[in-house]
Amino acid sequence: MIRRVPVRASERLYGLRVVATPEALDHARFAGSAGSAGSAGSAGEVTVLRIASDEVLALGAVDADVADPHAIVELETGFVGWHLTAAEFVSNVERHIEWLLPTHRPALAQGLIAGLPLKLWFDDDHDHDHDHDHDHDYVLVIASSGLAHEVVERLGVPA
Amino acid sequence: MRFALDDQPVDYLDGDSIAVAVVRAGQHPQHGGALCLAGDCGNCSADVAGVPFTRTCLTPARPGLRVRRHPAVGGPPLRLDPPKNPVASPAQTSVQVHRRHVDIAVIGAGRSGTAAAASARAAGHDVMVLDSESGFEVVGVYPGPIVVVRTPEHMLHVHAHEVVIATGAADVHPVCEGNMLRGIVTWGAADILRERSVDLGRTVTVDLTELARFDGIDGQVTAVVFTDGRSTPCDTAIVTSATRAPRDLLARMVSDPGVSVVGPAAERYDLPPCPTDGIVCPCSKVTVGDLQMVWDKGFTHLELVKRAALCGTGTCQGGVCMPHLRAFVTEKSGAPAAPFTGRPASRQLTIAEAAADVFLDPFRRTALHDEHLKLGAQMDRFGGWWRPWNYGDFMREYWAVREGVSLGDVSTLGKMIVSGPDVVEALERLYPTTIADIRPGRSRYVLLLNERGHLIDDGMVCRESDDRFVLTFTSGGASFAEAWVRDWIETWGLNVRIMDRTISLGAINVTGPLAGELLRRVGVPESPKFLQHRHADVAGVACHIMRLSFTGEASFELHHPVAHSAELWQTLMLAGRDLNITPHGLQALFALRLEKGHVIVGMDTELDTTPRRINMDWAVKMDKPDFIGRTALARTADLPDHRRLFGLTMDGPAPTEGAPIYVGDRIVGHVASAFMSPTVGKAIMLGWQKHSPWVDTVTVDGRTAHVTDTPFYDPQGARARI
Amino acid sequence: MNEFVETLLELTWHEPKSSYDVVIVGGGGHGLATAYYLATRHGITNVAVVEADYIGSGNSGRNTTIIRANYGIPESIRFYRHSQKLYSDLEQETGCWVMHATKGLIWLAHTETAMRAERARVLLNTACDAQTVLITPTEVKQLCPQIDLSGGGRYPVLGASHHLPASTARHDRVVWAYAQGAMQRGVHVLQNTQVTGLLRDGDRVVGVRTSNGDIAAGTVMSAVGGDVSQLAAHAGLRLPVRTHPLQAFVTNGYGQGFGPIISDTELLCYISQTARGQMLIGHEYDRESSFSLQSSFQFLQANAAKMSYLLPFVRDLKILRQWTGRCDVSADFSPIMGFTGVDGFVISTGWGTWGFKAIPAGGEQMAELIATGTTPELIQPFALSRFAADHAMADQGSTGTR
Repeated sequence: MIRRVPVRASERLYGLRVVATPEALDHARFAGSAGSAGSAGSAGEVTVLRIASDEVLALGAVDADVADPHAIVELETGFVGWHLTAAEFVSNVERHIEWLLPTHRPALAQGLIAGLPLKLWFDDDHDHDHDHDHDHDYVLVIASSGLAHEVVERLGVPA
Repeated sequence: MRFALDDQPVDYLDGDSIAVAVVRAGQHPQHGGALCLAGDCGNCSADVAGVPFTRTCLTPARPGLRVRRHPAVGGPPLRLDPPKNPVASPAQTSVQVHRRHVDIAVIGAGRSGTAAAASARAAGHDVMVLDSESGFEVVGVYPGPIVVVRTPEHMLHVHAHEVVIATGAADVHPVCEGNMLRGIVTWGAADILRERSVDLGRTVTVDLTELARFDGIDGQVTAVVFTDGRSTPCDTAIVTSATRAPRDLLARMVSDPGVSVVGPAAERYDLPPCPTDGIVCPCSKVTVGDLQMVWDKGFTHLELVKRAALCGTGTCQGGVCMPHLRAFVTEKSGAPAAPFTGRPASRQLTIAEAAADVFLDPFRRTALHDEHLKLGAQMDRFGGWWRPWNYGDFMREYWAVREGVSLGDVSTLGKMIVSGPDVVEALERLYPTTIADIRPGRSRYVLLLNERGHLIDDGMVCRESDDRFVLTFTSGGASFAEAWVRDWIETWGLNVRIMDRTISLGAINVTGPLAGELLRRVGVPESPKFLQHRHADVAGVACHIMRLSFTGEASFELHHPVAHSAELWQTLMLAGRDLNITPHGLQALFALRLEKGHVIVGMDTELDTTPRRINMDWAVKMDKPDFIGRTALARTADLPDHRRLFGLTMDGPAPTEGAPIYVGDRIVGHVASAFMSPTVGKAIMLGWQKHSPWVDTVTVDGRTAHVTDTPFYDPQGARARI
Repeated sequence: MNEFVETLLELTWHEPKSSYDVVIVGGGGHGLATAYYLATRHGITNVAVVEADYIGSGNSGRNTTIIRANYGIPESIRFYRHSQKLYSDLEQETGCWVMHATKGLIWLAHTETAMRAERARVLLNTACDAQTVLITPTEVKQLCPQIDLSGGGRYPVLGASHHLPASTARHDRVVWAYAQGAMQRGVHVLQNTQVTGLLRDGDRVVGVRTSNGDIAAGTVMSAVGGDVSQLAAHAGLRLPVRTHPLQAFVTNGYGQGFGPIISDTELLCYISQTARGQMLIGHEYDRESSFSLQSSFQFLQANAAKMSYLLPFVRDLKILRQWTGRCDVSADFSPIMGFTGVDGFVISTGWGTWGFKAIPAGGEQMAELIATGTTPELIQPFALSRFAADHAMADQGSTGTR
């Protein structure tokens, strides 16, 4: 789940990055921290992004239970995100995308947008279908923090 | 309603194209030539609102529009005005791009296109029909397939599983004496003009096979002369033809299994009679006489005729001349001539339209970018990152490293964690160095070789535990190295986990004789020994401290979560204020490492640099059973080798890097790196000799230089171990 | 008539014979120039040039016609400088108007690293008689008033190297000039003749098998572009060559107004105005290797964008035509010329993006090699054997724009 209050400026995303066998990741469990949650979620909430078959980005997570003795579990602070409403997504991001967006929810999409390697997280916690909700967060746009200035320039989102 | 043609007002009716309005006004959008008003020829193109070569038949008239004819001779002038807003990024041009994904794109809404669309829809497909009549002008079909479309408002890129080209066939233009007069139209154009209620005056309709020539006065057609000698006066000559030329340029320009052609666009057709006079290629002003001349000179092949006479190489891409050129070559050679190659684009687009919504490679910033700017750094791009080149005075930075303490932003280094039961095996194969005997907490300098035994990168291997290592790579080589490591480990099928940490970790190099003192001040009472590494909190930030030395002084790289880079940097700068802490940029770093004789891969090395050519055989263990490049190194070990990188010194200022190295009059190599070293008191260099026998004395920049052992500075390496 | 209709050249075709002293496979610039120099310099005229399609139909008719010598290693600079000089005399020697025009080539640098490379280039070029000077942004602007020195705010010009003798010539006419000269002296040029194999006598190559029958030859030379790996395989050779598409495009023709050739060391693209007024834009070869001649939209997009940053005035120009050639890139980015280790079979390949400028020198030197049986000194460094010896002619500066 991602925060429901629109956050217009970018924020740094905190969480865990885990590389492990695909089977171990299929059954991995992540815990957020009650007191000091990553800002991507409300206290304790974790958003699990399976960015590769053997790799997870768990936003908001502070602890991971992964059944792989060789798993690599690291604090990840290298990404920033923008919470956009559907209208903002359409006007700022979607028109630059050449590839097909996923239609199911929740969904992670990754690819080049305006020449930048970005991740999009479409949450499922909406009481409507795919017609865009113009008041609530619709998508989290995620970029490496080293490219944040390019995202701002190319997509016209606030820094 | 009016627009301007060459600054003279032209009235138009709602719904007129520019070309129709111009004809209605009794004029011609160019200086003459048959009009088809269907986009097939270039005879109506003009400068519209500052864009020459715009087809006026496809451009709706708008009030106040400025239309200019191209010059009768030569091209329209190259407009060289400075841009209105010179700092605006070209990516923010006014041209927008829309994108559609469909099952099937049908190009053309005529009979064959409509039928193709209907049957595709009936089969349940998502179909989009693209036709210039309805504002979708297809400028190209490319592999993908992608259909590139211009609409009045924006560009449209249609990604389709299948593309059906149903563009129909075009009227064949007349090629005969007088065919560049005003007042000649094709049958289709006459239809359009009548539909728009344009008064054509006295008309004469003539079939291509019966057409001998057009007569005219002052550039205006006055009569049609038939092959039987009849002459019929007219104001407008209408040319008909039993044969129509398939509009197949789109089909000829793309080769993609998803693209098919239907209807008249796909059909064979009868060529018109071989032309005997007139302009055959109006775009390039090529006459039938030109074709005959080059044919007589031995250019007896359709492509050679085309290239020698430049027929068909203009705006319409053969739209007018192709049937006639083929008829000409077929008659002369006695064998049917195939069409010449079709090449994009069909209907021309501007460079701005092609560039719309295109973004080039991004530039990365480290988390310390703003810190560098605050300190007045001159930034430069290196290896895809913005990095400090210097902070105003690189020699001051140099001395801070040699005599005090300095910080360097090395966040751009490639960083990777590898873990797993096969990790030692994987690293033994990746690197020419022995890995197994590195103890946890220790690290080792490594080379990375390709299969040819040539150096592609270097870095550090830090062992954390039996089955877990941290690897570093050069800044410029990081993304290549990541792919390299992943590809090989996957190829070998080894059980290893890989996590790239390059963008996740910042790294600050604390270096100088006072580096240890600075670390003590920020909570590291006992720093690691040389080539050791450990995890520790530094000023409250969890760091992986690696002790090594590229600068020649004690150096501690603090790798840390990138979110804390700025606070860590600020804390270190504050703690070192009374030590005159001064950060250093790349310029100082290059000088410092050169005094130590350390090579920079890609700057001092070349595409075929083996370890022995840079005197680094010590970093290669040929007694290992295998590693990437071992076979090549074993094969070449006994071959004569003429290339070697040497340390050189000479008096006077440093030569320009890249300066040739001479032995007598002969260039034997070049200076790879150079610096006037205040500690050595001479210009120091790394330079190549590529011709043996190698000599101890060479000439650089007109001065004598001497081969000198490296390191130039602190040869025992004592200072790095302080 | 437009002023560019070819009026001087004349091609004389011959009926093929079954045997020649020399058979050259590939009727492009290199093959025809070799035949021309065999005839004019060595009196060897019992020669056939065998071409699968029409002469100049391969890369000779698809390149961007730049003639330069500002390379990165002395061996290359000397070779291309020699070629540049032969080009300068070509019109006088052949009596053909090949539209040779000296324009100067400006290589833009946007970073300190790029400036370092250009400073080095200037020194080495100067030492090897290829006139190249370092120029400031102000001087760039004087030579090319259209340039945006801020690079659209993204690629600021820090300076450039200016290679003064750089020129262009019309590619087709160079091919025809050599063809005419060779044909007039009795060389046979056989069009529409596809070579399908090599005739062998033991280890020796003794002729070619073609779609129109076998042709015996004392020496067979490959001057093939694009399909060279397949031809060499018939001789049992595996070449260190990969073939990549190389794309380019031109705008419509405008009035003359753009003097120099501008090239960008970072964006790897370049632009010049042709004699017909077209703006001709090219780029480094495609990264993926392929034998395809298909043009891509991505190429057009990227290069339209790149040029828009450097030269804003191009944005309103109309793109006329886009095309693709195939370039054979060797393992060290330098050409491969000379003996192959297979008797009777010599080769000229690896011309990548730089074959057009090398046509005169490549033809002249290969002719000397064939005529004398020894490798001329100028091309000794480019022998195929260098790869086995691990003595690459590594010249990253040889690729189109670097």
